[in-house]
Amino acid sequence: MNFSQVALVFVVLAPGVVFAVLALLWLLGWVPSERVPCRITGLTFSTCVLALAVILWKLASTGAPGVVATFGNWFAVDDYHFPLILMADRISLPFLGMTVLLSGLIGQFSATYLHRERGFLRFFLLLHLFAFGSLLAFAAGSFDLLIAGWELVGITSVLLIAFFQQRPAPVENGLRVFAVYRACDIGLLVGVFALYHWAGTASFAAGLPRLTGTQAAIFCLLLLLAAAGKAAQVPFSGWLPRAMEGPTPSSAIFYGAISIHAGAYLLLRIQPILNQSRLASALVIVIGVLTAIHGAIVGRASADAKTSLAYASLTQVGVVFVEIGMGWTWIALAHILGHATVRTLQFLRAPSMLHDYHQMHSAIGVEQSTANSRLEDLFPRRAQLWFYRWALDRGHLDTILDSWVVHPLMQLSKLFAKLDNIGLSGPVRRKEEAAISMPSHARQGGD
Amino acid sequence: MIGHAVILTALAMAVPWLGSIVVAVYHRQTRVIGFVAASVSVLASAVLLHAAPAGESLYQALMVLFSCLALGATLVIPLRDCTPGTIGGILFVLGSTLLAYSTQNVLVLLAAWILSTVPFFLERWLRAESWRPQAALLLSTIALALAIAIMAANGNALSIDRLRGQSPGGMTAFGLLVVAVIFRKGICPAHAWVADAAAGGPAIPTALLLNGHFGALLVAKLIVPLFPHTVENLFPVLSYFAIVTALYVGIRALTENSPRRLIAFLALSQSACILAGLESRTAEGIAGALVHWFVVTVSTMGLFGIVRLLEVRFGENLTASRHFGLAEHAPRLAVFFAVFGLALVGLPGTLSFCSQDLLIHGTLASHPLTGLLLPIATAMNAVSVYRLFTRLFLGKRRTGFTLLADALPRERWILTAGVLFVVLGGLFPNAIVAQRSAEVEQAIRAPIGPPQIRN
Repeated sequence: MNFSQVALVFVVLAPGVVFAVLALLWLLGWVPSERVPCRITGLTFSTCVLALAVILWKLASTGAPGVVATFGNWFAVDDYHFPLILMADRISLPFLGMTVLLSGLIGQFSATYLHRERGFLRFFLLLHLFAFGSLLAFAAGSFDLLIAGWELVGITSVLLIAFFQQRPAPVENGLRVFAVYRACDIGLLVGVFALYHWAGTASFAAGLPRLTGTQAAIFCLLLLLAAAGKAAQVPFSGWLPRAMEGPTPSSAIFYGAISIHAGAYLLLRIQPILNQSRLASALVIVIGVLTAIHGAIVGRASADAKTSLAYASLTQVGVVFVEIGMGWTWIALAHILGHATVRTLQFLRAPSMLHDYHQMHSAIGVEQSTANSRLEDLFPRRAQLWFYRWALDRGHLDTILDSWVVHPLMQLSKLFAKLDNIGLSGPVRRKEEAAISMPSHARQGGD
Repeated sequence: MIGHAVILTALAMAVPWLGSIVVAVYHRQTRVIGFVAASVSVLASAVLLHAAPAGESLYQALMVLFSCLALGATLVIPLRDCTPGTIGGILFVLGSTLLAYSTQNVLVLLAAWILSTVPFFLERWLRAESWRPQAALLLSTIALALAIAIMAANGNALSIDRLRGQSPGGMTAFGLLVVAVIFRKGICPAHAWVADAAAGGPAIPTALLLNGHFGALLVAKLIVPLFPHTVENLFPVLSYFAIVTALYVGIRALTENSPRRLIAFLALSQSACILAGLESRTAEGIAGALVHWFVVTVSTMGLFGIVRLLEVRFGENLTASRHFGLAEHAPRLAVFFAVFGLALVGLPGTLSFCSQDLLIHGTLASHPLTGLLLPIATAMNAVSVYRLFTRLFLGKRRTGFTLLADALPRERWILTAGVLFVVLGGLFPNAIVAQRSAEVEQAIRAPIGPPQIRN
């Protein structure tokens, strides 16, 4: 194993090891001061940045297309193997760099922002777990391993949405986000298993070229479901404003930078076959366009800064989807990097936005006015009202999902419960029926 | 060597039974007696596992796992439940389950099957409120007894080795065995008793009963080896029953508010996945099912144990219809619950991620529809387990509890051991998967053709 490979392994594993050690010590009774997780976080991500810089330098000096580290099989049964392959190529390196840089910055920012907050240690533990999941997903050399990182990003995202656990709204919104993630991840799971079934391997390099036209189209559509879910694309955009219940640093890194772009990364990974399937690329473009329009309209009617920023993110990610669908890989990659950086800054400044405006107004000496520059004035009055109502209900996306998916499922569940209670004695049946109720995550809930 | 194995097997079973008699007579130091008896079982089973030839250690491994669970149960069980009836029941179930795992005789298997259910029929031991658990256990026992009677009459033997591949009793015996599996395992439409048993009976002993997985044992030990040709034609039907069960209870759990019933549904759904894997007749599917057997057993035992600890601390009216905010009072129990719960539904980094991966690959290859539906069932289970976690542990902090203890040291160490098993198993799965893989490989390459899992 050469130095670049060791560095790559270190970058991926370091946050995971920090999480595991700190969590185990806490579980056995250790309660550290705030300084301990802050310093460890700073040290970990600084070292990761250095390690990535070394990899970049080595690649630049040798002209190699990437670094691949193979560790054999995680487990194997008969002919089936789960290969452990880490890879840093031209697509994954920017994502790896973005993850370690922003995670380190968010760690430093949170040391002050969350000072004396309940759950200070929990935040840092989840930040490390998230960084580990993201790095694993971005450095995975096969779809199998990518699933592991992908799922970890999902669960940490949900746990951070419910960070302020004493308030019911974040907790319920976290549950809703979790349900959407799990539903969409079925696409990724089935797609990857189908890939293995058809190609005999799930590795990027060997698996994708073996798919026939129809197989490639089915595979792309299944992965598009997962990508759309993770990137909050239409029709799954409803979870994004709910996710703003988490602390601002986690909103910045998840929905301004890394998690929201994970779907785009997945599509970039399959772009060689995506562009061969007209149906799949057309669908990616349509979803991207719809999401961009949806984000632009709904964002204009959002009442709070974080939700506005979230919809602004959504619009940009929609545009990134269009770029990927058109086959403009490098434009999409540059767009992602630029967008993630700017949006993270905006999210982190959001709590002090009013202060920033006042400072700016004091500096320039006059109030900035946007009075006569509203885009909606181009539309007739009735259309404006229609758009406003549509934007206030966030495109009715949650209502549609509730009516078509959630409520029928709940009704079916209740029907099953009634069937199960047949044959029970009167008092026991009444007790069981009283215990069944519509869970509140099925109801409309806002941020 | 064989003599030592017999002595150790007898020791592993007899000491718990002896312990249950001592507890019933002596009425004192119940936890200590339970701990000592279960420890002897663990040690004896561990020695048996160590001595077992490679690729033939499945049942020894299951003996170690089950005796470890019983040992954990004797330590975790709250003081309030530490009665002679409960500890005696746990030890009795332990002895009977180990007998079922270790035997190669159909009559002894029937005896073990009956003995493991006895405590759940007796009101002073572990009987549930509802009539359905007793009815299901009784029907499964009758079906098994009839099947064994027919098999013994037709095959002129009681040894599983001598009956192997002969299809003794033909379709009638096969059908009766399937009926026994359906009732004992809680396959749809005979699933409701499992939730009744969990809700109305003592939580930890009932979890032990369910985690004996006698239904899966019957499939692995009798149905597959004895009826290879029938299995080839009719197994897909049982596989569809299993996936229907996984989906049905997965949907059913979405609106269930009783924590115990909800966990029972989750356990049932995931246990049905074990059955689907065993029936896939692929190396990945069977290995995945065997590994998942371990995961489901440890995770559901942990979940039931934590719910019981919460009931003792915060009252027995816990429900998933509102938030309790118990993480503020018991943060470590919250973490244990989250890890066990998510480990049950395939969280990466836990052993179930590997087992689910194998299960889905295996079932997708043999029954594509089952393979496609398994991730859907698991996704619904994940939503249910997270919902239960949020309702019990998150939300506004409740006040007015007289006792605000987090996990006590003895509970903490046992639960940490369980968490380490599922997490370290997930990080280094080859230690477990390779063992199961060797057994499956032997089975698949056996002369009869279809998979046979030998002891």
